[in-house]
Amino acid sequence: MKATSLRALPIILALATGVAGAGDKYAIKAGTVITTNGEAIAEGVIVMEGGKITAVGPLDEVKIPWDAAVLDVPELTAAPGFVEACTSSGMDRPNENLDVAPFLNIRDSIDPVAFYFEDSLRWGMTTLNIQQGPSCVIGGQGMVVQPYGLLVEEMMMRPTSGIVMSASPKSGKSRATQAQALRQAFADLRRHLETLVREKRAGDDRARREALYQGRDLEGERGKGRAMEGKAWKVEGLELIPRGEIDEKLEPLLDIVEGRVDVYFYCGAPMDVRLALEIASDNGFLERTILVLDDSCWKAADLIAEAGVAVVLDPTLLHRETDPKSEEEVETFVPGVFAKKGINFALRSRNTTNESLWFQAATCIAHGMSRADALAAATTTPAKMLGLEGRVGELKAGAEGDVVLFSGDPLSVTSFVEYVVLDGQLIYDRSQDVRTQHLLEGIQPDNTEAATVGEADAEGDTEDDEEEDDGEEDDR
Amino acid sequence: MLSLLMAPTLALAVGSPAGHPTSSDDWTIHAERVYTGPGEVLEDAVITVKDGVVASITPGGKAPEDALAAHAVTAGMIDLSAHLADSRYAVEQAREVQPHLSVAPAVDLYSTRWKALAASGVTIALVSPLDLNIIGGHGIALRTAGPKELAAREVTGKPVLRGAIGTQPSGGNHPAYGRPTDFFSRRPTTRMGVEWEWRIAFFDAVAATRLPEKEFPGAEELRAALRGERVVMIQAWATQDIRTAVFLKEEMSREGFGELDLVLDAAAEAWKEPQLLMRSGTTVVLPPFPAGGRTTDQAFMAWNTAKLLTDGGVTVCLSSHGRTSAADRLSMQAGFAMRGGLTFDQALAAVTTNPAQVLGISERVGTVESGKDADLVLWSGQPFEPSARITGVLVAGELALDPR
Repeated sequence: MKATSLRALPIILALATGVAGAGDKYAIKAGTVITTNGEAIAEGVIVMEGGKITAVGPLDEVKIPWDAAVLDVPELTAAPGFVEACTSSGMDRPNENLDVAPFLNIRDSIDPVAFYFEDSLRWGMTTLNIQQGPSCVIGGQGMVVQPYGLLVEEMMMRPTSGIVMSASPKSGKSRATQAQALRQAFADLRRHLETLVREKRAGDDRARREALYQGRDLEGERGKGRAMEGKAWKVEGLELIPRGEIDEKLEPLLDIVEGRVDVYFYCGAPMDVRLALEIASDNGFLERTILVLDDSCWKAADLIAEAGVAVVLDPTLLHRETDPKSEEEVETFVPGVFAKKGINFALRSRNTTNESLWFQAATCIAHGMSRADALAAATTTPAKMLGLEGRVGELKAGAEGDVVLFSGDPLSVTSFVEYVVLDGQLIYDRSQDVRTQHLLEGIQPDNTEAATVGEADAEGDTEDDEEEDDGEEDDR
Repeated sequence: MLSLLMAPTLALAVGSPAGHPTSSDDWTIHAERVYTGPGEVLEDAVITVKDGVVASITPGGKAPEDALAAHAVTAGMIDLSAHLADSRYAVEQAREVQPHLSVAPAVDLYSTRWKALAASGVTIALVSPLDLNIIGGHGIALRTAGPKELAAREVTGKPVLRGAIGTQPSGGNHPAYGRPTDFFSRRPTTRMGVEWEWRIAFFDAVAATRLPEKEFPGAEELRAALRGERVVMIQAWATQDIRTAVFLKEEMSREGFGELDLVLDAAAEAWKEPQLLMRSGTTVVLPPFPAGGRTTDQAFMAWNTAKLLTDGGVTVCLSSHGRTSAADRLSMQAGFAMRGGLTFDQALAAVTTNPAQVLGISERVGTVESGKDADLVLWSGQPFEPSARITGVLVAGELALDPR
């Protein structure tokens, strides 16, 4: 219902500003346009058509189509939306209890009306990679979404953007059993594939009957066999097995071994990095591996640099450790270590706090990183990780029409997100955002009781009113 | 006191590299901007520090080669809710009302948190008893760096008596159905019980002046509070608790018992009834700004809270409430208060001059002035922006964070 009210916004706005019709051409005239990693154009124009950016440039060089709806905001700064490289927010619960669950899909767990998605817009994040939490051995399939839409399908940007694995023990497991469970998962896959081939060669069609019994798709590509790809190991004769006959629960692992899916490998301690890299290279998906790191993992930076994998950093950017003897506190600026080793790294928000991506990037600048590098770690680098290079994280011709308009410098504490344009459509306007008004000024939504000042009966009621706000404003 | 300060100073001086001042208390600082106090800024200024105090500030001055360099300098920040003694052993729970006790014996100067606090730009922290008691006792204002000796670190101003209203002080208690099962089978177990304890404590303290048998430990401290000789700092997150505290102050005044110097700590919902606080002359210490609006006790804190109160004439101080994460540090609270509409100067006041005024130490700290204590923060960029780093901190002239 919330999303419906947001959907209605562009129409309301179009009426208010007298723009004729909501055509597919849209242009933004902004005081400053930040294109890629902080490069800026003064008095810039962004033209979008069919949801994509067709031109970006200075006002006097770019022609605005006569029939485009124009958002003329000379006081604002246009910037690409921030890209969240890996998060489990927006799901009903972050972790599935099953150890190995690559056959599950985040789609069924995403709640499109979760406040998280609205808040993402308020902090200027337009691309989110939602993945299962790290309390697993092998998690479900994640997806890249936009924080806008009534249905998961409307939000979706990349349906299967990866699978989470954890090199740190899931609760209830030791490091030994976690490592064993990871190895076992791939051993199980291999045994299953070998059994299928052996049985097929022996003329046994048990797997086919099982597939038909389960009502699996055996038509088209699913009915054909294909020789196994993969860098580390192969099962000979897999071309004999129609893909639809492979156990559904194990098939996503085959996609991983064949290098078709990204793996977000969680490491909760530096010691976990070795295991993650070992599992990845033993099964041939090192090139598709992105490490999701705890802040202490900077200690394994050499190992990571050698493996050549990219990393997503912990929201804690300053790792603190106390020398037990001298009591000296040693502070390490984590992104600095990775930058120095030439490792590609993306920043991550600490959700439900003020440490969103803008704050993380600003913190990097405070610790001596260049503005371009800090912005890259929250835009272009994660975009590349997610396979969306050139599509999100920068404003240029050919990219998605995703633009965030800030009231000032995107990395300043006093700047607000005033408008968000997604796919060439205005979908967020702060002046219409009831929840922001509530958060900023304590203004109660219209259809709830205002906190009456100075009247005795307000005392007991205020808390209850507050509790209901969240629900009430949805009805608008 | 002087000898206590000098001893480690000399030890440090031996180890300091050649070319730098021989006494670690003597420094020259050059900054592009020196925010000497709210509303005052000096461009391209040189500050000299001698024997722990600011000796001179010269705008447009020429700095020597070995001067400490910074983009900006502000006075050291003062955190009135630093929670540096927050273990259960830091508050005596034998009785709910213990105004005669002090948190001092529970302060651990060896804790590594001091260094982190100093490095975050806080030069004076008010350490208070935990909110598990109704009146927990006296707090103590301490410098965040210096000798590991309370006497040397204490900043003596107006004594602070701290207590709490809300769910926390009664949180551990439970009613005894039948036979009490443990020490916490006791009252109060509700907000109204807590309120009653506050009122009866002051009432009994006053009554004891005529009925000596009513005298109890701490009664004299409560009477001192009624005489206005104590800062009475009450933690109250939600509107109903803020009201309880203000009504307590007004009741004491109405009954002719005395005038409490009331400071509300963690008053997240103070924005709901600013006129109540203006009317009663209450000072407010705000907890860190929450991303989703909700704080402890389900109190809702709007981003413009500091602005609303400041515009209404209420003295507002910001605090970290003992939280250490990047966005909860005191310096960021000033930034977030600006996000909510406060001007830079008002935000600066809320972390320097206002808390100094509350503690009655304005003459020594809170601004960068010659003759005042050298509590200074050196910034790499615009203060209170997350893209600016605190590169150096001087606590009474001692370099708590070295910018070099």
